[in-house]
Amino acid sequence: MTAILEVDRLSHRFGGLRVVDDLTFEVGEGEIVGLIGPNGAGKTTVLNLITGLYAPDQGDIRFEGESVAGLAPHKVTERGIARTFQTLRLFLNMSVIDNVMSAAYCRTGANLGQIILRTPAFRREEAATRLRAEELLGFFGERITGYRFTEPAYSLSYANRRRLEIARALMCSPRLLLLDEPAAGMNPSETSEVTELIGRLRDEGGYTILFIEHDMGVVADIADRVIALDHGRMIAQGSYEEVVADPSVIEAYLGRGTGITR
Amino acid sequence: MNGELKASSDRLGRDEWVAEHTGRTRRDPVAAVGAAIERVPFALRLAVIAVGFAAFPLLTDNSYVLRIVGTVALFAALALGLNLVAGFAGLLDLGYVAFYGIGGYTYAYLSSEFLGIHLPTPLTLIIVIATGVLFGWLLGLPSMRLVGDYLAIATLGFLLVFNQLTASLTRVHLPWTDGPVDMTGGPNGIINLDDLSLFGLTATSIKHYVIIIVVMLLTVMTVVHNVDRSRIGRGWRALRENDLAAETMGMPTKRLKLLAFVFGSSIAGLSGAVFAAWQGAVFPNNFAVPVLITLYSIIVLGGLGSIPGVLVGSFVLVVVPELLRDVALASTLFYGAVVLTLIVAIKPLWRAGAVILAVAALGGLARLAAPEASLPPGEGLGALVSHILILPVENATLVGNVAFVAVLGLMFLSAYLTSPTAKLLVLVPSLWLLALAWQTRLSQDPSVTRLLLIGATLVALMNFRPAGLFGRTRVEVL
Repeated sequence: MTAILEVDRLSHRFGGLRVVDDLTFEVGEGEIVGLIGPNGAGKTTVLNLITGLYAPDQGDIRFEGESVAGLAPHKVTERGIARTFQTLRLFLNMSVIDNVMSAAYCRTGANLGQIILRTPAFRREEAATRLRAEELLGFFGERITGYRFTEPAYSLSYANRRRLEIARALMCSPRLLLLDEPAAGMNPSETSEVTELIGRLRDEGGYTILFIEHDMGVVADIADRVIALDHGRMIAQGSYEEVVADPSVIEAYLGRGTGITR
Repeated sequence: MNGELKASSDRLGRDEWVAEHTGRTRRDPVAAVGAAIERVPFALRLAVIAVGFAAFPLLTDNSYVLRIVGTVALFAALALGLNLVAGFAGLLDLGYVAFYGIGGYTYAYLSSEFLGIHLPTPLTLIIVIATGVLFGWLLGLPSMRLVGDYLAIATLGFLLVFNQLTASLTRVHLPWTDGPVDMTGGPNGIINLDDLSLFGLTATSIKHYVIIIVVMLLTVMTVVHNVDRSRIGRGWRALRENDLAAETMGMPTKRLKLLAFVFGSSIAGLSGAVFAAWQGAVFPNNFAVPVLITLYSIIVLGGLGSIPGVLVGSFVLVVVPELLRDVALASTLFYGAVVLTLIVAIKPLWRAGAVILAVAALGGLARLAAPEASLPPGEGLGALVSHILILPVENATLVGNVAFVAVLGLMFLSAYLTSPTAKLLVLVPSLWLLALAWQTRLSQDPSVTRLLLIGATLVALMNFRPAGLFGRTRVEVL
């Protein structure tokens, strides 16, 4: 399996604190990789580094063989990496369909002249963008389709906002999808739906997925491979069973010398 | 799947409350008007506006009316540009009027004896727009790292510098000239500008200028409308909503901000050139902070981000101050507004009626207390009010001043009261005193009063409709 994403000896500090410390891992094409670790382990920072929100202090990030470290976030997205946020960041006062269509920016090319004159080329592109957005929203069944298209995003329920964020990320036409706690705040049936969705995204959509998740049920069900972080370092990787049985992972989550670890 | 099951699954996950969301917002009559306007096809809206404005130059020769119509259209075009920067992209640009001025002065340089240059109008306008783009870009480039209040301060500084330079660059020593050079005309401005001359026709009368300005307004409206409904318009709204998410979703936010800024400055520049040609001169005062405040009032009143709102806003802020110059009309508007506010603000309706009756009764008591006092003068609805409310007056100016201060005192008192009954009780004498102050003092001094009234209207309106007339209330989800 060829690696689509290579994180190579990546380090990042916040002041004196090493949030990511000499981290190296790969994500293969078509793989679903789960990133786990206790709170403050640096998981979201890794995603922020990959998507260009932070420039790494040291090390390199290569996507499809080319370095994306230090690129502006929109350039990274243009290369083919899209993400969702742990704390949702929707365009709340825009309609559901506009939220999704807005993310087509880097995949469309109509210039100001074409837009002002509404040339046929612009209209075709606009119609295609709308169609694609409706198609992506249709991925979630009836939940955010139909009359909901013109509703403002703030009118959606929490779970639907998470779905909308995924649809918006897909509109960037990524090859690598980064999901930051996709099941956070969801009830058990919604969680199992998210689990199924991640599988479908890979199988039907062909996306490679790197996701952060605290719900070990989701990780166990769907991750091909699990990477465990603590204090910005990788402490274990492998299948879910291997990683959760690893003494250093148990120690990171539960501490040393408790009754449970013995 | 059988029919029954299908029907019930249609409702699954669909919250009725959410489904009726649009129905709820339309219950508000002003928002209903806004929504109705949005449903009209854009071309038809343009046609209605064109006919509405064109009616004036065709039907009237009254140059006062035409000047107001032209000003409404000019301010609407200007406000559309500002609305794009501040409303769509959410950039608080306080230097906007400087670009209006740069357009005006560029036109003046290229079409007057000041430099002895008389370029053909189309070429001048192209240069004006290019200059607007250039200066917008020059100011925008370093400012795009700033957000919110910081951007506002930086751009306001630019406007102040522009105002100062246009007023004071009258004696500049350049290395290649012998004596000092007048670069801007100073407070005396640049005068005797050429008229606009397009397609072989020269604009000579105010009618021609009204038509040119309306054509410009329609063009700007079309451009803004088209850009709003495109990848760029969505990008602007996205970065206003959440800058970081927009950037992460592949939108080059810095470039989009700069584009909004430059777009706005070129619209302002074009408007400035047309204004300069119309006035036949440019002065530093034409491009100062009061214009900026009027423009912001227009877009906030109309609703940030709303195109129909800009038209209504500029109509209100240009026409109403003119109407208020006439005492009788001003009185009618004033009392009409007070009664309307009472009806809207006090529910149920009978209470509002009771308050009005109580004010009249209070007037009767005042008449009993001072049977010999003369009635204050009144015109229009004012005459009627002074008979119903019976406002006895001997020393009109003094009484008016005291009444006005007393009204302010009672309003502050009312703000600290929590019981609705107590508020209503305070309201009755406040209204009577307000009528007294209006009849004896305020209506006698329209030049001051009209500004007071506009200010009070803006305060009241923004309290009732924080999102402006046609604006959508923005929702933040925590």
